[in-house]
Formats: sequence, C-alpha cells, structure tokens
Amino acid sequence: MEVSHSVKERTIAENSLVILLQGLRGHVTTVDLRDESTATGRVTNVDAFMNVRLAEVTFTDRQGTVSRLDELFVTGRNVRYVHIPDEVDIRATIEQQLQAIHRVRYFGGRDKGRKEFPRAKHK
Amino acid sequence: GGAMSFLKRFPPPAEGVRHQQPDTEAVLAGRTLGAGTLYIAESRLSWLENSGVGFSLDYPTISLHAVSRDLNAYPWEHLYVMVNAKFEEEETKEAPMAEGEEEEDSDDDVEPIAEFRFVPSDKSALEAMFSAMCECQALHPDPDDEDSDNDYEGEEYDVEAHELEQGDIPSFYTYEEGLSHLTAEGQATLERLEGMLAQSVSSQYNMAGVRTEDSIREFEDGMEVDIAPVVAGQFEDAEVDH
Repeated sequence: MEVSHSVKERTIAENSLVILLQGLRGHVTTVDLRDESTATGRVTNVDAFMNVRLAEVTFTDRQGTVSRLDELFVTGRNVRYVHIPDEVDIRATIEQQLQAIHRVRYFGGRDKGRKEFPRAKHK
Repeated sequence: GGAMSFLKRFPPPAEGVRHQQPDTEAVLAGRTLGAGTLYIAESRLSWLENSGVGFSLDYPTISLHAVSRDLNAYPWEHLYVMVNAKFEEEETKEAPMAEGEEEEDSDDDVEPIAEFRFVPSDKSALEAMFSAMCECQALHPDPDDEDSDNDYEGEEYDVEAHELEQGDIPSFYTYEEGLSHLTAEGQATLERLEGMLAQSVSSQYNMAGVRTEDSIREFEDGMEVDIAPVVAGQFEDAEVDH
C-alpha cells in the first residue's frame, strides 16, 4: 500500500475523502470531468490534491467523440466525480489507507514521518 | 496573415527543466505551429520553434494531459494537453451582433478550451514527457480550492516527542517490521520503552492498538508476563484492533 512521501499530503489525505480515491489504485473507474467529458481507465495514482492519473483510458470528450489514451492525468480542479466501482468496499478501503499512513508516520518513511501539524486552521 | 499572435521570442528555460524534447511539432486545434523543442520545466511548460519563437503554458491553466497512441483519433502518437484558456489567431469575429443577442462564447456557460498536441519525432519519449508533466503539475495545486484544508496552525511538531511528553506510548507495530525502520534514535527509544515495560505489570499500560478485548482476557486469566529482558517477537501475535 503506497502512501505519499510528503508529510503534508499524508495529513491532507487523512482528513479528507481523497483518502478513499487513493485506495482505488489498480481499479478501473470512470472520472467525470468538469467540462462533462469522461474518462474510464485504471487508476494509477491519486494525490492529495485529487490529481488523478489513469492508464488504458477510454476518453469521451464533451462532444461525445470517443478515443483511447494510453495515460491520462487530470488535475484535481477539473475532476467533478470519481465513480467508486461496485466491487470496492468503501469502509475497508479507507481503513487500509489510514493504516498505511499510520505505519509510515510512526515508523518512518523516507523522511521518518514523525512530523505533523497540530490541527487544521479552519476546522 | 494568419500568424499566431501569441507566439513570442524568449530564451529557453534554464532552471528546473525536468524534461526537454527536441524535434517536437506543436499543433494547436489542428493547425501546426512548426517544429521545435518542448521544455517541461517546473515553473511552466514551454515550446520554442527552431526559429526561436514560441509560447508558454502555466500549469494552473492546464486541465489535463495525456499520451495518445490511438491513430484513429489522430494520425501521430503525441502528448495531448488541454488548456483552460483561449489561444487564437489575430482574426476576430467582426460581425456586428444583433440587438439583444448574447455572445455565443459566454464564459458562464462554456469554459474556454485550447487543445495542444506535441508530436515528438521520437515516440519512445512520450512516457518520459508524460511523467515529467505529471511531476510538474503536482507542484502547482489549485490555489482556488475552497475545500482544501491545507492550512495548518502552529509549528510542525515531532509526533513522538509530543506523545512521550504526555506519557503516551507511540502506536505499536509488529516487532520485526518496526525494528527494520528504526534509526539509532528510534532504537534507543525502543530500548527505553522495553525497559519501562519490564518494570511494570503490562496491564497498567494502554499501548495504542494492543489493548484489545483478546489481550485483556488473557491477562485476566492470570497469564504470566515475562518481565525479564524482552524477547523478540513477544508481541507478534497481539491483535491490533483499530
């Protein structure tokens, strides 16, 4: 289970539902974009900013034209929906991601992972 | 006539260039801009025609990028970049609008979109170009994101030091895995904690995640705890109940 090497990104993920999307790595899913195009492909990565990287993509642009893309990176800002595949157990996925983050935090990743922020400013 | 007005002369980026791809054609909305070099730099994406004119794109304006090898969609393998901005030739619409008629391209309804394609003569470079763009894009998270709770109060602090000060013991993990990640400092901490454990009855401790229903039952059964030097793997079968 891979988690970000960035302390800040782990903290963001832990406090938002992006953590669920990060657990979709390896699954095929459909992403609806802000401009109403859609992309269906296998999730390679989702970062804390909800940038989504997909592979083997079927892309339908806003005019309805379908094409295939080997790899696609959509910025978080342009993601409207990420469909959660039926076979994904949402609760289990979130728990697994949280455990992965906690493992890194307490026993070190690249940066030993022991630094955190006390709390978010606007909570 | 018909020159692309947004093309300018500027020096190629010198810093933070993650990838540089020469002999790359740039195409905007189906019209070729010529052959040149694509610079994927941390600050912006730039393309310079061999004559020295070109353009730059700021990452926050880029909606998505992709590797396209679908020759049915476009006859050459390329890096596709969709930009949330308008790039147009000099010719503007000059037809007068009828009274009361709204502009077709009202930005409220339709976002401006420009489609760029970068066609390298070396197709095998597309993966590297794509990855470099992913890395650079990630350096420019959306500043307008209202939902992002990226502001954290106070100074970054050392989790372990904080928890030890409060008398808590850090979260537990299986012995071997934890041990393999320990620094010298961590090793010293581990030895100190094991010493503390050896000195007291373990049921007095509330080690996060270890004090489960199962472990409580075991102690109530009067199971003796080995308080001699801690044996490796002592906690191997403890069930961590998160």
